[in-house]
Amino acid sequence: MSNLTTDADTAHFDLPSDRGEGHGRSPLRWLLLAAGLAVAVALPWFVYPPIAMDILCWALFAIALDILLGYCGLLSFGHAAFWGGSAYATGLVAVHYGVPFPLAVLAGMLFAMTIAVPIGYLSVRATGIYFAMVTLAFAQMIYFIANQWRDVTGGENGLQAVPKTFFGIEAVETEAFYFYYAALPMILLGMWAAWRIVHSPFGRVLVAIRDNSPRARALGYDVERYKVIAFVLSAGLAGLAGGLFAISHGFVSLQEVNWTTSGKVVLMTVLGGIGTLWGGAVGAGFIVQLEDYMASSGFEGIGIVTGSVFVIVVLLFRRGIWGTVAHLVSSRSTRSAGRRG
Amino acid sequence: MKRNTAAKVAVASAGAMLLAACGQGGPGADSGAISDDSIVLAVLNDQSGVYKDLSGPNSVKAVEMAIADFKEEHGDDAVTDNIEVVSADHQNEPDVANTKAQELYDRENADVILDVPTSSAALAVANQAKTKKKLFLNVGAATTELTGAQCNKYTFHWAYDTYMLANGTGTAVTEGGGKNWQIIYPDYAFGQDMEKSFTAAVEGAGGSVDGSIATPFPNDNFATFLTKAAAKDPDVIGTMQAGGDLINLVKQFNEGGYADRGISLAVGLMFITDIHSLGVEQFAGTQFTEAWYWNMDDEARAWADRFLEETGTRPSFAHAANYSAALQYLEAVQRAETDESDAVVEELEGLQAEDVFLRNGEVRAEDHRVIHDAYLAKVKSPDEVEEDWDYEEIVATIPAADAFRPVEESGCEM
Repeated sequence: MSNLTTDADTAHFDLPSDRGEGHGRSPLRWLLLAAGLAVAVALPWFVYPPIAMDILCWALFAIALDILLGYCGLLSFGHAAFWGGSAYATGLVAVHYGVPFPLAVLAGMLFAMTIAVPIGYLSVRATGIYFAMVTLAFAQMIYFIANQWRDVTGGENGLQAVPKTFFGIEAVETEAFYFYYAALPMILLGMWAAWRIVHSPFGRVLVAIRDNSPRARALGYDVERYKVIAFVLSAGLAGLAGGLFAISHGFVSLQEVNWTTSGKVVLMTVLGGIGTLWGGAVGAGFIVQLEDYMASSGFEGIGIVTGSVFVIVVLLFRRGIWGTVAHLVSSRSTRSAGRRG
Repeated sequence: MKRNTAAKVAVASAGAMLLAACGQGGPGADSGAISDDSIVLAVLNDQSGVYKDLSGPNSVKAVEMAIADFKEEHGDDAVTDNIEVVSADHQNEPDVANTKAQELYDRENADVILDVPTSSAALAVANQAKTKKKLFLNVGAATTELTGAQCNKYTFHWAYDTYMLANGTGTAVTEGGGKNWQIIYPDYAFGQDMEKSFTAAVEGAGGSVDGSIATPFPNDNFATFLTKAAAKDPDVIGTMQAGGDLINLVKQFNEGGYADRGISLAVGLMFITDIHSLGVEQFAGTQFTEAWYWNMDDEARAWADRFLEETGTRPSFAHAANYSAALQYLEAVQRAETDESDAVVEELEGLQAEDVFLRNGEVRAEDHRVIHDAYLAKVKSPDEVEEDWDYEEIVATIPAADAFRPVEESGCEM
């Protein structure tokens, strides 16, 4: 990516800044970062550990999607292909080679990035709804491969008994609570990578392309190439999340590559707030907890509730949960700064 | 799962300070023969989707009935008075089933999980049962994998499977004169298994399968597949569709007038709730394999009457099988005088039992397949129906020993 960075560095021009950059290096940002870390570390004490792990994985997945949706303006409706593709690859590596799980997850992530190259290359030519449809079509192809290649993937029955091999440390291999802390660094690394990507000069070019791609092209940026790279990076992070999800659950099912999974992560990102990055994590936490609660509540209409929440958020809080909060905080600090001035 | 809220809050507040402590280990050491002084039966199934009617909340009722009967039978001699049921919705998603199963075993202290329709979900739960060393009595899923390559010590398969369905219907219909078959099956694991098993059964009985047509799943329009199948002039069209797909196919079969051309329809998997939702006239004359029918004899009927009082509806075989599984589990605990999993497994293995659901029942020790008499049923014509839910006529009984896959073929290694 280094050549791209120089590329972007040489061209200085005003970019519409993304939200949240308003309170740039304020102490508030560090406070929020510390709070976020504290939540991530304390989560399995408050939430049932396997659910906490689900939240982490979905959070990274939603953040990965937000790189495309929020910073490139590309709505991918096929990210299940990378989450699920990596889940299968991770599962297969773990089952057949018995390597420690971080290695299996890395293999899954590489696999996701590999399949993302041709998919991204062919998809980024389209924009808007067409981009969404093309990515959906590719994801469905992955779904059917996973379904039909039964000898390898287990088809409808799923890939069962994926081990959590971790250097023979039994606590991590058997207890979800300890596994959480073994997996947490990988997730945090993924989130940090996402943050680096969108706040790098490369990320600023993405925003420029999102807001005015003819202008970016006129300035000499290879728009398609930037989009493909963003697509592959996003797929890699989605793959990291999906691989850990597979290890955490101990099996991989077709659900992972189903279009509903793509839909769910879009829902989380929109709920949390598009273009806010951390909003995805908030949305993921909210949806996973809600679904878990509903599943044991005896109430039947799970879809109705998540659907209603989605409608309400889209109609009333268009910035999403995190976006709305961030907006309130930043507008207040701007006001108080104005008074002081 | 509201029971543990207080505990959770306590753990949460203490947790931050006690991070160095031992974390959340497994359930505490058992104080007596019965862990936590209570037996917890967990029903994990589809409470909101396509399988809601055939298992769903009424399976929970059936398990409650089993507990009531157990208490009544043993009274003060019962191993414990404290028996409760918890339930959760797996939404037919294996991921959800997997997490819920862990949660039920860990947080709700469930000693056994019951029901779990949808094969992929059932296999995920079986894996959890193996890891957690807790019992899993599957009722709702059809896959033979549970007692085959993926069998384990703590998993039992109670009511039916694809082999039983295919073998029963395929053999009986072929011997009844339906020699030439066309099979229409949905192209996923269940359909593919059924197609293979049916072909084997039909050919074993001296018939022939002239063609098998794979259809997308799920699918609404079966007209082209039916036309293609009927073009070969078969005696029988066998459909392996289930649920909503089956209902669509049967409607289109009837509208196409294939029955008038002398083609009969055999159905791979059908629940009484399917007949109820589509109406008996649509299915009239269709033959299929039943694990149990509520009106098959006085004992079944008496139980179905109680069930009707409790729920306002007649039971499917899955409901009766959940009752049976819960009851036999409790009886096994009673005999073992503990709910410790290994002891209960030992009691269940090789058990020969009779109850409302199990006729000539036996829990095979080798693969944990529960075998029992199965039935070839025929859907009544509308003028034969005498009361609500009186839809089926039992044509033949398939003895337990013949109804299920022989142990030698299971491939199960525990």
